[in-house]
Amino acid sequence: MRRSLPAVLVSAMLLTACQGNGGEGGATSAAFDPKTCQGGTLSVLNQGGINRLDPARLYTSGGGNIPSLLFRTLTTRNRLEGEAGTKPAPDLATDLGTPSDGAKTWTYKLRDDVFFEDGTPIKAADVKYGIERSFSPDLPGGAPYLRDWLVGAANYQGPYKQPDGLEAIETPDDKTIVFKLSKPEGDFPFLATATQFAPVPKAKDKGVGYDAHPISSGPYKIESYEPKKSLELVRNEHWKPAVDNLRYACPDRIEVTAGLDAAVINQRLVSGAGQDANAVTTDAAVGPEQLAQLQPGSELEKRVARGEFPATTYLAFNTRKAPFDDPKVREALSYAVNRTSVVNALGGSAVAGPSTTFLPPQKALGHQAYDFFPAGASGDPAKAKELLAAAGKPGLTIELAHENDDGNGLGPKPAAALQEAFKQAGVTVKLTPIDSATYRDVTGKPATQPGLSLQYWGADWPSGGPFLIPIFDGRQIITAGGNFNLAQYNDPAVNAEIDAINALTDQSQAQQRWGALDAKIGKLALTVPLAHEKDVYLFGKNVKNAVPDGWRGTYDLARISVK
Amino acid sequence: MTRAAVAFRDRGLVAGAAIATLMVVVAVSAPLLTAISGQDPTTFHDGLLDSARGGVPVGAFGGVSGEHWLGVEPGTGRDLFARIVYGARVSLGVAVGATVLQVLIGLLAGLAAGLGGRWADAALGRLIDLVLAVPSLVLAISLLAIVPADWPRPVLLAVVIAVLGWGGTARITRGETLSLRTRDYVAAARVSGAGWFRVARREILPGLTAPVLTYAALILPTNMIVEAGLSFLGVGVRPPTPSWGQMLSTATTWFRADPMYVVVPGGLLFLTLLAFVLVANGLRRVLDPRQSEFLR
Repeated sequence: MRRSLPAVLVSAMLLTACQGNGGEGGATSAAFDPKTCQGGTLSVLNQGGINRLDPARLYTSGGGNIPSLLFRTLTTRNRLEGEAGTKPAPDLATDLGTPSDGAKTWTYKLRDDVFFEDGTPIKAADVKYGIERSFSPDLPGGAPYLRDWLVGAANYQGPYKQPDGLEAIETPDDKTIVFKLSKPEGDFPFLATATQFAPVPKAKDKGVGYDAHPISSGPYKIESYEPKKSLELVRNEHWKPAVDNLRYACPDRIEVTAGLDAAVINQRLVSGAGQDANAVTTDAAVGPEQLAQLQPGSELEKRVARGEFPATTYLAFNTRKAPFDDPKVREALSYAVNRTSVVNALGGSAVAGPSTTFLPPQKALGHQAYDFFPAGASGDPAKAKELLAAAGKPGLTIELAHENDDGNGLGPKPAAALQEAFKQAGVTVKLTPIDSATYRDVTGKPATQPGLSLQYWGADWPSGGPFLIPIFDGRQIITAGGNFNLAQYNDPAVNAEIDAINALTDQSQAQQRWGALDAKIGKLALTVPLAHEKDVYLFGKNVKNAVPDGWRGTYDLARISVK
Repeated sequence: MTRAAVAFRDRGLVAGAAIATLMVVVAVSAPLLTAISGQDPTTFHDGLLDSARGGVPVGAFGGVSGEHWLGVEPGTGRDLFARIVYGARVSLGVAVGATVLQVLIGLLAGLAAGLGGRWADAALGRLIDLVLAVPSLVLAISLLAIVPADWPRPVLLAVVIAVLGWGGTARITRGETLSLRTRDYVAAARVSGAGWFRVARREILPGLTAPVLTYAALILPTNMIVEAGLSFLGVGVRPPTPSWGQMLSTATTWFRADPMYVVVPGGLLFLTLLAFVLVANGLRRVLDPRQSEFLR
């Protein structure tokens, strides 16, 4: 997923050291009892994250943090630490879905005793309607997978223009919903965590106006909501913990304030004065100010959650543009990068780690270690020079496109680090800053795409598919704009392997093959993987059970207590 | 007492001029100074940073050592002394260049308005009003944001600052010219057949030296602040070129973790500005005897 989407509640920098030692997060869940955690008011201090709440328009990983308080989806992330947290779990549905027809048909049964905030029982038709309205051109913003996967959905315009609905979604009775896919998709239970799978009562739908008060199916409902500024949530009395074992819903009240500066948020969390002792944030990862105070054994170290959201920062070559059409040039630059200085530019080893693989180091994504162009910790300029000489291009001058500010980790700081590393290899780099608001538009359109650009990719869900398909599937080259296959790489053998893995419903088999595919593509030096994300989030003094989950790398508002 | 003697007795002027001269010498001899320290402004030193703590320099006072006299830059490990002295080149060079351009444009426009008759004066007067009225920082940001990346940034900065800031010099020149042109010696030159161009050059310009020089010394520090401001806002020089304003900009996220990184460029900027303001006030006292009575 792209980082700059406003609805992406995944934060820029989460943290977990690797999958294995994710348990180091400050608060432990050992003594935590979800039955006695109720009470108090939780404050959420955010930079953004509440620009909109319409479930059709949110682009989330695993259903998001704030949206997941309001919306139950067919499945959801299982909200556990480390690798266990990378799996989906049933939410509105009774299980993860039953595949048939070689994973082209997925059937779900809804739980009993699930209600909207007004007491109306949730029916299968409400889930179907929620998905259908996300196809409406008036409600853009969600992930593109449903349109791609559902039979006959490519040109569907949503229920306002085509009230007959989508034939690909069948609701034979109030408790059953069946999805017909155009190709086998073993990852369907992961996709069903998205907010588009939240039920929407047709009678309450106001089209674009639904955003002002989306009807809750989760533990909280909206008391007041001012987009981009504030959101106040109170308990939804029709939600029962007995039919939701994943959301603890401890605080009686949750108050979200957005529009704050990251440095201010973190300073307030550190000081913890007054109500700030009950505060957390879902999008302000710690800055250098706090990292400098986070020594082992310090008081602050107990109030930090370290997780890892699967994401990679990388250099993307446009292999249709000289000199990057020459594999030797791409390999030379792969040898030349200094990953240590890139990691420092991104905020140091607490919030980033060096990566030589495109897949980040989570097992759930199928990560397999490889390093075909070993640059060591600080680059191998001699080897790079050798390759450039062999390519007949010593003393090359290239342009590197990057964002004009460092907010998204694609700014002047990492760009300057790369410029200096390439200089050691005799390559002169001209930096081309592009306004961060239009950066993805410029790089995502093959007509305007620069030859070399700094990029970031995060997992829509913890699996190799959403990581590799948009970047390397040749059928995903979109010339109109919104393209992520920046290498413009199209190998029928790779495309066929992608289809074959998609058909697998056994995740461990799929992981093995995604990893092998990543290593196979890695040999071609279509990208230079630079760093993977780690996430460090502070929380207030009174906050308990702030455990980072393995899916999103940060703590889960639905499980935090301030009692 | 000659003017030179007066100038040397003016302690503010002497102190200001000494500091200003030192800064200019440092800027001019930047390659020499970094050769002595054995560092350059762009090499990264990852080994001198504590990566786990966000990349703060290892050691006291921002990593001060025998090799890195002022420590290193947090996040990159680039030598701070080298970046400071090379940054002085940009900060001073842009400010001086912009000031020279402003004075040239201002002098020409002011003379033309003062000597050119009613219509020229009216037209140029409104143009000067316009230049003075436009919010120059906003316009400078938009101008600098749209020019292609490969134009030489320091030159561009100087030109943009000058083009948006010559109104003051023009207005002062015009006022002085209007008063000078009514003097008897100017009338005598006219009567003896001198053209306006010759009058401007031989009779008016010498009379403008004192006020314009004083004013130039006053706008030079202002231009330094504008350059620092533009670099601070990210539309100044491009990386890896250092400038004090740009360093202050990155320092905003480090001011607690590494105070040295704020203190060094901030302190030098303050000292240099103070020096030029002292010089400007001193010049005014020395060159304008009437003012000197009030200012002393």
